[in-house]
Amino acid sequence: MEYFFTDEEKTLKEKAHQAAETLARPAHRELDENAEFPMEIVKEMGKQGLLKIFIPKEYGGTGAKVMDMCIACEEVSRVCAGIATAYAVNALGSGPIVLFGSDDQKKKYLPKIATGELLCAFGLTEAQAGSDIANLQTTARKENGHYVLNGVKQFISSGGLSDVYVVLASTDKSRGARGISAFIVEKDTPGFSAGKEENKLGIRASTTTELVFEDCKIPAENLMGREGMGFIYTMRNFDRARPGVGAIALGIAQGAYETTLGFTHQKNLLNNQYVQRAIADMATQVEAARALVYAAARMIDSGAKNFTKEASFAKLYPSDVAVKVTNQAVELLGPYGLLSEYRVEKMLRDAKITQIYEGTNQIQRAQIAIELTREMGTKTRGETK
Amino acid sequence: MKLSQECTLLQSELRKFAQQVLAEKVDEIEKSCSLPTDNIRRLAEMGIIGAVIPESYGGAALDTMGFTVVLEEISKVCASTAFVIAVHNAFFAYPIVKFGGEELKKKYLPKAASGGIVGGYALTKTNELVPGKTTGEPCLNGKNPFVLNGAANGPIVVSVPTNGTGNTSLYVIQNNTQGCKFNRASRTIGLRSAGIGEYSFENVCPSAADLLGAEGQGRIITDSMNTYARILLAAISLGIAQGAADAAVKYAKERVQFAQPIVNFGMVREMIADMSVNIEASRHLVYEAAMRVDRGEDHRAASAMARLFAGQSATDVTTTAIQVYGGYGYMKDYPAERYFRDAQMLNAICSTPDEDKEIIAKNTI
Repeated sequence: MEYFFTDEEKTLKEKAHQAAETLARPAHRELDENAEFPMEIVKEMGKQGLLKIFIPKEYGGTGAKVMDMCIACEEVSRVCAGIATAYAVNALGSGPIVLFGSDDQKKKYLPKIATGELLCAFGLTEAQAGSDIANLQTTARKENGHYVLNGVKQFISSGGLSDVYVVLASTDKSRGARGISAFIVEKDTPGFSAGKEENKLGIRASTTTELVFEDCKIPAENLMGREGMGFIYTMRNFDRARPGVGAIALGIAQGAYETTLGFTHQKNLLNNQYVQRAIADMATQVEAARALVYAAARMIDSGAKNFTKEASFAKLYPSDVAVKVTNQAVELLGPYGLLSEYRVEKMLRDAKITQIYEGTNQIQRAQIAIELTREMGTKTRGETK
Repeated sequence: MKLSQECTLLQSELRKFAQQVLAEKVDEIEKSCSLPTDNIRRLAEMGIIGAVIPESYGGAALDTMGFTVVLEEISKVCASTAFVIAVHNAFFAYPIVKFGGEELKKKYLPKAASGGIVGGYALTKTNELVPGKTTGEPCLNGKNPFVLNGAANGPIVVSVPTNGTGNTSLYVIQNNTQGCKFNRASRTIGLRSAGIGEYSFENVCPSAADLLGAEGQGRIITDSMNTYARILLAAISLGIAQGAADAAVKYAKERVQFAQPIVNFGMVREMIADMSVNIEASRHLVYEAAMRVDRGEDHRAASAMARLFAGQSATDVTTTAIQVYGGYGYMKDYPAERYFRDAQMLNAICSTPDEDKEIIAKNTI
């Protein structure tokens, strides 16, 4: 379908497509098999200008547009969602600095993130704080112009391999979610290390580790914004990042659909009505997911104030489509779908994470319902006036 | 569903075995991607490995319902082990019992019943054949990436084109036959320890003594094998779904978020209810199909329905099970992801969902 891309967007799409085909395509199966991080590929993508799309113009970027992020993530994920995740984490990690960092913090980090000189990540989840992110146990104690961090983060994408981390920790436990603050932590800070590396079902090229803080002392100026605002910053960062997860899911679904179409065509199966039904459903679902992702991205980029609901739509639906479409792909390839050589089994394994990370789909649904309830409340108050 | 007393006994025996023996080894087996030879030996000692083989050849002569329960219980814990046993029976012993001559039966069945050999099957639809160098004799040239129990180093049932007719014939060949070579274990999404492997064949020309049924009867025999096998594979799907759901429910009761076990939350309860309905409906279809076989009734539609529904339920249930676990479900430290990968394997072996639907439609209209 026609989405009326600008010339810049067309150029970006082509550039991301080329990077995916020339950098990700030849390496992705081996990276998946060995669970190896695509460091060279991400660095090269930075050189080719694919990281600066996450960064505002005044700090060496191209404007930090959600639409640009979605276009690039979709193209890379169409080839490999593991590599796409390793790439997109830089948007999630730089997002809080872009949105809430001080001018000094922005100047210090963003230009280098734009070129790929610095890779960044986001440290939120803990063993006891998954969906319940307010239940963070990691603490940051202020003393003598420093903060001292203690605790363990879990399931952190690109943990140990990134240079800069935005980390959430509690500065005041008695205040719960309102006692959470956001900090910038650099990789070589004493007392900071990467812990256990996870062995995962899919997106195996994206390394997932613990982050361990043991009396880790960081300068007070590494606090982002104000103390106690970390939870709100996180939510706002997620609102902008979720269409990106939707785009990763969309890319997986697109890749699976294309592979299946190619396979069924080559085997002369497209005149079978079972296959026609399945491939038509796949094509329709992929396109619906795409329309939703782009619409949410356009809305955010247009300067909308509250887009929590739409961001959740754009993550929820495409991720469910990705799982459905990759399942269908495996099925249509028959026994070949089960063999790693034919790639769709990897796409299915990869797809499953999109229903889980950056807020499970249950959390997305709860979020949408909260927004809908709020809207009803506003409407009712308006009517009684 | 009410099972016979005999079946209930078998069920509790296998349940105990699965929990005491299989559960301990499943992670190690999964990691090594090697055949669960110890488990197979234990099942042979229990007299179960020759489930489909008549007592006169030393087999267990289990009825289909009994074998279904056995596979369901094993699959709750280790689907790879169940799959090896199911293949050995449905795709190797079964065609010999039903279509083999006395010579073939004597040659293979006693050993298959004692576990001395574990038989395999080269999946017909993945035969990637090239025209043979010789003419006249039916010969096999090419390769097949889907030789079930291929790593078991035993005889295998192969489908060989009958020259000029477009038909095929089924033969039992020794895996060390000249020109027959096990290349490697295939990299499959799941059932990583079930020994699925790639074989290449170069001028493998089996003799008439190894023929199952009559020449050109390949299709008839594989249809018969598949009709029976669908029920066994459905039982494995059922076991996988049950195992995954049990693990997810246990986790949901233990995992605390928002100051309470997540099992208290409506969306989690809904997932649990959905899994339970799927499993219960699968179980009814699978048991009904098995009992139809044992009662001597037409079971073509029933076996396709059981396989279709149990197979799709297993992929749905295991996907949901991971979701209940959240991020932990995606990690290999927890069993949910293995159930998810294993469940995928059952939807393409003896029939795909589309083929099942075609059988059901054909038997309905």
